[in-house]
Amino acid sequence: MEKKNVLVIGGGIAGIQASLDLADKGMQVYLVEREPSIGGRMAQLDKTFPTNDCSICILAPKMADCFGHDNINVMTYSEVSEIAGDAGNYNATVTRKARHVNEDVCTGCGDCNAKCPVKVPNEFDMELGMRKAIYLPFLQAVPRVMTIDEENCIFYTKGKCRLCEKACKIGAIEFDKGPEELKLNVGSIIVATGYDVWDPTPAKEYGYKKVQNVFTAMEFERMINAAGPTGGHIQRRSDGERPKKIGFIQCVGSRNPQLDHPYCCSVCCMHSTKEAILAREHHDDMESFIFYKDMRTFGKGFNEYMERGKSEYGITYINSDATVQENPANQNPIVVYDVAGKQEKMEVDMVILATTLVPRKGAKELAKLLDIDVDEFGFYESADKLLNPVDTKRPGIFIAGYCHEPMDIPEAVAQASGAAARAAELLSTKGVS
Amino acid sequence: MAMEIKEPRIGVFVCHCGVNIGGFVDVPDVAEYAKTLPNVVHAENNLYTCADDGLTAIKNAIKEKNLTRVIVASCTPRTHAPLFMRICEEAGLNKYLFTFVNIREHCSWVHMKEQEKATAKSKDLIKMGVARAVLLEPQEEVKIDVRPSSLVIGGGIAGMTAALNLANQGFETHLIEKEPELGGFLRKLSTLYQTQESSAKAYEGLIKKVEANDKIQLYKNTTLKSLTGYIGKYDAVLNVNGEDKEIGVGTIIVATGADEYRPKGLYGLGEHDNIITLTDFEKMVKEDKVPADLKSVAFITCSGARGQDKEYCSRICCTVTVKNAMKVMEMASKGGDAEAKVEEASVDEKAVSDKEEEKAEEPEEEEGESRRRSRRDRRGRRGGRRRGAERGEERPKERGAAVDVTVFNRGITTYGIEQELLYNKSREQRVKFVRFVPENPPKVSMEDGKLTVSYYHETLKADRKMNPDLIILATPLTQRPDAQELSKMLKVPLGRDEFFLEAHVKLRPVDFATDGIFLCGTAHGPANITEAVAQAYGAASRASIPMSLGYVQAEAIVSYVDRERCSGCKSCEVVCPYGAIQFDEEGLAEVIVAACKGCGTCGSICPEKAITMTHYTDEQLTAEALAALEEVGT
Amino acid sequence: MSEEEATASGFEPKIIAFLCNWCSYAGADLAGVSRYQYPTNTRTVRVMCSSRVDPVLIIEMLIHGADGVLVGGCHLGDCHYITGNYYTEKKIKLAKKLIEKSGLNPNRLRLEWVSASEGERFSKVVEDFVNEVKTLGPSPVAGKNPDVDKLEGLFVAKNAARDFRLRSLVAREINLTEKGNVYDKTISQEEFDNLMDSAIDEEMARQKILLMTIDGPYSVLDIASQINLSPEIVLQHIVTLKDRGLVVVDRFDGVMPLYITPKEEVLR
Ligand SMILES: Cc1cc2nc3c(=O)[nH]c(=O)nc-3n(C[C@H](O)[C@H](O)[C@H](O)COP(=O)(O)OP(=O)(O)OC[C@H]3O[C@@H](n4cnc5c(N)ncnc54)[C@H](O)[C@@H]3O)c2cc1C
Ligand SMILES: Cc1cc2nc3c(=O)[nH]c(=O)nc-3n(C[C@H](O)[C@H](O)[C@H](O)COP(=O)(O)OP(=O)(O)OC[C@H]3O[C@@H](n4cnc5c(N)ncnc54)[C@H](O)[C@@H]3O)c2cc1C
Ligand code: SF4
Repeated sequence: MEKKNVLVIGGGIAGIQASLDLADKGMQVYLVEREPSIGGRMAQLDKTFPTNDCSICILAPKMADCFGHDNINVMTYSEVSEIAGDAGNYNATVTRKARHVNEDVCTGCGDCNAKCPVKVPNEFDMELGMRKAIYLPFLQAVPRVMTIDEENCIFYTKGKCRLCEKACKIGAIEFDKGPEELKLNVGSIIVATGYDVWDPTPAKEYGYKKVQNVFTAMEFERMINAAGPTGGHIQRRSDGERPKKIGFIQCVGSRNPQLDHPYCCSVCCMHSTKEAILAREHHDDMESFIFYKDMRTFGKGFNEYMERGKSEYGITYINSDATVQENPANQNPIVVYDVAGKQEKMEVDMVILATTLVPRKGAKELAKLLDIDVDEFGFYESADKLLNPVDTKRPGIFIAGYCHEPMDIPEAVAQASGAAARAAELLSTKGVS
Repeated sequence: MAMEIKEPRIGVFVCHCGVNIGGFVDVPDVAEYAKTLPNVVHAENNLYTCADDGLTAIKNAIKEKNLTRVIVASCTPRTHAPLFMRICEEAGLNKYLFTFVNIREHCSWVHMKEQEKATAKSKDLIKMGVARAVLLEPQEEVKIDVRPSSLVIGGGIAGMTAALNLANQGFETHLIEKEPELGGFLRKLSTLYQTQESSAKAYEGLIKKVEANDKIQLYKNTTLKSLTGYIGKYDAVLNVNGEDKEIGVGTIIVATGADEYRPKGLYGLGEHDNIITLTDFEKMVKEDKVPADLKSVAFITCSGARGQDKEYCSRICCTVTVKNAMKVMEMASKGGDAEAKVEEASVDEKAVSDKEEEKAEEPEEEEGESRRRSRRDRRGRRGGRRRGAERGEERPKERGAAVDVTVFNRGITTYGIEQELLYNKSREQRVKFVRFVPENPPKVSMEDGKLTVSYYHETLKADRKMNPDLIILATPLTQRPDAQELSKMLKVPLGRDEFFLEAHVKLRPVDFATDGIFLCGTAHGPANITEAVAQAYGAASRASIPMSLGYVQAEAIVSYVDRERCSGCKSCEVVCPYGAIQFDEEGLAEVIVAACKGCGTCGSICPEKAITMTHYTDEQLTAEALAALEEVGT
Repeated sequence: MSEEEATASGFEPKIIAFLCNWCSYAGADLAGVSRYQYPTNTRTVRVMCSSRVDPVLIIEMLIHGADGVLVGGCHLGDCHYITGNYYTEKKIKLAKKLIEKSGLNPNRLRLEWVSASEGERFSKVVEDFVNEVKTLGPSPVAGKNPDVDKLEGLFVAKNAARDFRLRSLVAREINLTEKGNVYDKTISQEEFDNLMDSAIDEEMARQKILLMTIDGPYSVLDIASQINLSPEIVLQHIVTLKDRGLVVVDRFDGVMPLYITPKEEVLR
């Protein structure tokens, strides 16, 4: 039986775009997102290169469109647990984790989390800020409903509390409800599970977690964001002071076979340039130094953006590998690099690491479940790299976005539309090429 | 709308947009001010009006305060109007009673250092919005039928891919190609780095599918001659082999590709037979015309790109350079004994300087890295390499290769997985990479009858010279010369880089701002085949949306003729670009709503002032503008 | 505030900017997105196409004390509405002439083409225009003590901008000079401009006459001395205006007819 339904796994920009394209033409879409909100990484970014569009501003309307769409059933806090069948007729089981808050009732008012006594680091803010055990991951979260995180909730760990339940005036809290399973029949599946930020702690030479004022780029994105944990203030971990001199180190973990990430992440040259520009926009006296292997400014308007970074935002680009030490007197990071074979040192107030990006946790397991190939780094592999980049080896299952290959937002969007086109093609003919 | 609106009740929502507005404009003060304006019964400020809670606040206020007009002062209507209009509609308010006031792009972001004035300007802008809102009227939208057929312009890899996808989705697709054959730029290439197979293999398979597909009408030797119409109903005249052919389609995809840029005279291009471009070299390889006795080959990347002429980086040339550098190595290693001997003779002397350079180029730790890398490689790290090995491809010698290949570069842009690994492999094969800075590029000259490249070795801090047999310039892709004409015909813009300009750089990469026209492939900007294909599918998806539905909802902004005033002078007919004006038996003007695009050209010329532009009436525009001229503080 | 005072006290002009949705408004958006800073003096009114901007609307702004009016459209050839901005160019040409005739500096009106990708250019255009208007000083008709003659001139100009003949000429300028008329004859741009100029002069004169006859009745001689034209020419205009029904003989002063504009026409 041919079905015009499509399952999209992953609600980042790629998953959202694929869903919207299909739904806009009248197909029924199930969008399954593991986290409490859709939005993915793009929701965490402050601005986007090379236009400096406010990231959440341009994304939020899409998230709202997606959630409000008649033809899209958005299932957050859910995962796909089983797949059977063939192209045109897949049976999928979706596990809806218990969020313990009734989605249809909760208005996201926040009365509950004001009362919740538990504070844990907020993953969305790269753990730079705190959240409660009952929480909204971020202000523009879609759907705007709370989630109780069982791991940290004292009711689940110690057996009593339920303060949120008392605080909720509309009775949205559901402590007794367990996970649910949902069976779906779909014609096609699009996988768009995106990337994770690699934790650079093992690469000791960069000093992450050892030198206090070393941050990852994603941490920095949260920090300069007005809705982020510091309200948009750039602050040192050691003393809360604002830095005036920032060192950006590129290719941390990437292009490095020693750490099993010989590939290039494709976006880091640009995001570091962007972050340096934004830092200067925040404060006129900010100085930035970018230590790089090769500046890869290959997208539309990228090279022009970097040139502006140099001429208008005073960014200095230094072609060198770099490592980090700490000045114990003031916790300033010291960047060690070399110029023409000679070692140099530069003391800065803060270091930002452009860490490598890796496939999402669980990507391999999902690949197994779906019976599609991953390459040795864990990215989903296409059936035909040249002419069918969004097809996997299993007919009817398509891939889009960063889970497939390093790429920026517009590429992820184009590919997501592409995957939608392939799914539509499959479902309107049987003659899939 | 049944609601009879006498006294407008206006609600104003002022957005902080985080600090984007709030950091420069005193948003709470602006919202307080809004409350003092006539007919405003509600005003509030939101951290993000477009977030769920902001939207809910709008809906609630419409219901609770009986609002009959909504104003949002935030970002730009060009991205956010549809969202807020939808929210109004969901709350039962005709969406044309919504007014957008831009206090971010047009205020907070451009007056970051003048916060008081920015606040005053925000107030003015809201006052103008209120003056306009009072005069707004509800509008109804009409549905316009969309023909389930598409015109794809350009029969390269992107155009063919898009056409096939649309055809397989069931849409009648017309594919036009200027040249006698399909295939596009791929016809000029030898092997592709993704497959290590001939380029012909890639396009020939596609051509077969295109030719066999009965939903595809294929026209070769064909260009677009003229185009009229609008989304859903485009009427095109094709020039097929010199003859006119009319077709009607619902949507259009632009896939006209790009050309190689040939900056005559740059590094001596065009002045010496052995100074060529990458495409020239690919052609040589393809036609088996590479000189057999090459001993030294130099590539120069970014030739005419990244500020040297063109501002942009052409994305693909580094990888294509690496591919061809390896090709030179591979061909030499397969060469006869003669070369091997020459190489042996010179190896000692060369080895010394090579070592020195190598060391300087690769920082110490990288030496170790590359050793490790080759160890892994022997274990067969990458699928691509395994495949190569299986096919029994000869592994080029690592030491003392027969040919010396130097790539002068400004950094190598081999992004992603495949390309970076290819670059690594080329370094293992001892392709030399010598970096230069744009201020001091290598110089090409003839010295003692020999091609000479003089350069400054950045790491050795010394002037150097070499005498390559062949110099290959990596020049950027550039827009085709006839694109300007096409862009005028389609009414879609070219960007500063002269490539076609998409509707939104981040989120609408394959749409044009004009409804019903889409783009893909290198017409959009430099891209490799994989990317061009992904975009082609993307464009096909976007084009298929209105065609699947069979209609689009037209905007309600059209012109309207007051027959009492019209004198039948036909001035409107003269100026209307869409032929949207017709005359009835009495000789009076009438607007064809489906054809009218709402530009207002007619309304502001009608000598009898008989034409009203809905939603942009004289009264509305005048009131809005005059509000700005009243003294502030009233 | 006098002009000197204003300049001394840091005169901040008020400028109305009519920007087309597709190019110049988008260019202004891009200026924002790219954070190109420019002066705060403009107030933007978004229109779908620059050709929506009626000369009447422009003059109305000046009457109400705008120090400058900026009209922004797509570059010629790039108009989202194909040819709209070619007509913008013609409409602005008419408006400038009328403004000049009314005694104001026509540079208070500026037309600029700014594309969606020219954020930086947009900021420069605004900066430049603001500076120019600053040098021109405050509008002579703005503030508490407007220059009454110039104000009257603007009223006359606004009415002239509504005139049937001027508007139909503007509508047909491109056709006449480029494509040819119904007889396939083109006329040169110079010929056309001459035609247009005399039409403008005539219409300005007629509108001046009308401005008087509204409060009439007046004799031809009264009018001639008031608006500095020969009585013969005034008489010609009066004849035309009479044909159009815009003036009638109210009564005779001896043998001299006194003209007035009928009440219904004043209201129209
Ligand atoms: C610091 C930094 C700055 C950047 N700045 C820019 C920029 O300025 N401009 C730009 O263009 N790009 C930028 N990028 C790149 C950009 O973030 C990505 O291109 C883009 O977000 C990729 O989107 P995606 O949808 O493919 O993946 P993601 O955004 O990662 O979305 C994947 C989604 O899938 C969900 N998911 C994962 N696994 C599962 C599962 N098993 N089941 C269900 N759901 C699952 C995730 O929760 C997530 O919501 C930046 C990247 C970084 C690291
Ligand atoms: C030297 C070189 C080597 C390369 N090597 C590789 C490689 O190894 N791997 C890889 O992935 N990519 C490679 N590329 C890139 C590759 O060539 C492009 O990605 C690809 O050609 C893009 O396809 P396209 O369909 O967008 O454009 P094109 O191939 O340019 O096709 C456009 C088609 O449109 C037609 N056309 C143009 N204007 C009109 C008009 N007005 N009306 C009708 N028809 C029109 C043209 O005749 C042409 O057939 C290489 C590029 C170069 C320059
Ligand atoms: S309204 Fe526009 S701008 Fe304000 S927050 Fe929402 S997005 Fe950002």
